[in-house]
Amino acid sequence: MAGFEILDPTVEPRRQPLTYVPRPDSLKGKRVGLVENTKFNSDRLLQKIGVILKTEYGAADARMWRKHNSGVPAHKEILDDAKQAVDVVVAGIGD
Amino acid sequence: MTARISSQRYAVEDFQQALDLCYSRGWTDGLPVVPPTEPAVRAMLDAVGLEPDTQIAFITNRQVAITAEKVAINAVMAGCLPEHMPVVVAALEGIADPRWGYHGPATSTGSAAVLVIVNGPIAKRLDFNSGDNLFAPGWRSNATVGRAVRLVMRNVIGTMPGRLDRGTFGHPGRYTYVMAENEAESPWTPLHVERIGCRPTDSAVTVMAALAPIQFYNQLSSTAAGVLGTLCDTLRYPGQIGQPNYCVVLAGEHMRTIAADGWSKADIRKFIFENSTNTVAHFKRTARMPGAVKPEDETANRPIVQSPDDILVVAAGGRAGSFSCFIPGWASRTSSEAVTVVIKERSA
Repeated sequence: MAGFEILDPTVEPRRQPLTYVPRPDSLKGKRVGLVENTKFNSDRLLQKIGVILKTEYGAADARMWRKHNSGVPAHKEILDDAKQAVDVVVAGIGD
Repeated sequence: MTARISSQRYAVEDFQQALDLCYSRGWTDGLPVVPPTEPAVRAMLDAVGLEPDTQIAFITNRQVAITAEKVAINAVMAGCLPEHMPVVVAALEGIADPRWGYHGPATSTGSAAVLVIVNGPIAKRLDFNSGDNLFAPGWRSNATVGRAVRLVMRNVIGTMPGRLDRGTFGHPGRYTYVMAENEAESPWTPLHVERIGCRPTDSAVTVMAALAPIQFYNQLSSTAAGVLGTLCDTLRYPGQIGQPNYCVVLAGEHMRTIAADGWSKADIRKFIFENSTNTVAHFKRTARMPGAVKPEDETANRPIVQSPDDILVVAAGGRAGSFSCFIPGWASRTSSEAVTVVIKERSA
């Protein structure tokens, strides 16, 4: 059998630059957003984290949003609200 | 079609070297693949009349465009014929639909597979199995179309076991999980006609993020309510709470018994919906819902799905045997729902 060529079935991931906003040096006085992913107890876990950030790290406030489900990114309303209402966001996935 | 195929090319000496290359690169599902040569890939593209760089679908979470060229390559590898290509394309359009919610069912520990249900004339023309041994090996169309979808998930979307696919158990249906509805013998409206208003002469696929089929047995009853009562008792089994869909697959004997009572698919859905509820108390006692059991929990009933329409009723399976089965959907209604897509065949 003569030699032949085969084609690559895979796709190289599209590279795109990602930039992070600078991390605050301190949470003192910062407004904290908590994004809950709908899994059992993820709300309770994040609530506790919010309390710790306030009592131990001096955060001013903590409020929570709930995603539509765990398999999707935070939806537009959350992002729009968070931009106005908080300085930092904690997004965790509970399982 | 003359547009250039842009995928990287690898020169190989012979079939064995091609196979070794595919294995070493992690391009297979564990079984040998057909080496994707340019002529074979072009035949696939010609079958759908698409240019290589045509975008079939886009997976938002992965920021991956699925092009016709990559689908064709993977379809060749899976052993598809060019005639299968429109079915593969439609199935991929389905799982890329936001309602199907690709990221969840593809990556979850919950281990869903892509159930593909084929309806319309294409099923018969391409010999998709809708009868005996419905989910068994032996039919090229069932075997290769589902395999092609999975290879695209692996090679194009990056749904790799152990990395972006974290299934706890995986699923045998991840090799392939394809069936056709037995429209020739079914007394009922075909699935695609019911779901999206297709004409019976249209062909379509329905994709559902699905767990394994669970068989039930009733050789005793000669009534629709009797057979479906057994189904409900089995289907209600604990562990399934909040599923987005159930697919109920009624095989020959049960199909004829139920039809003899004059029940339509809508009647079947309504009966199942109303007779497969569980109490909140039951869910709490079995630790599927949190909290202590309250007196009112004993009479608070929860249906298995949100609406009777979330139950997909399909006539398929062997003509003989007092068995049918049901297939639970994966996760919840907000996470994934079954999607039906018309198969676009190239006009001759």
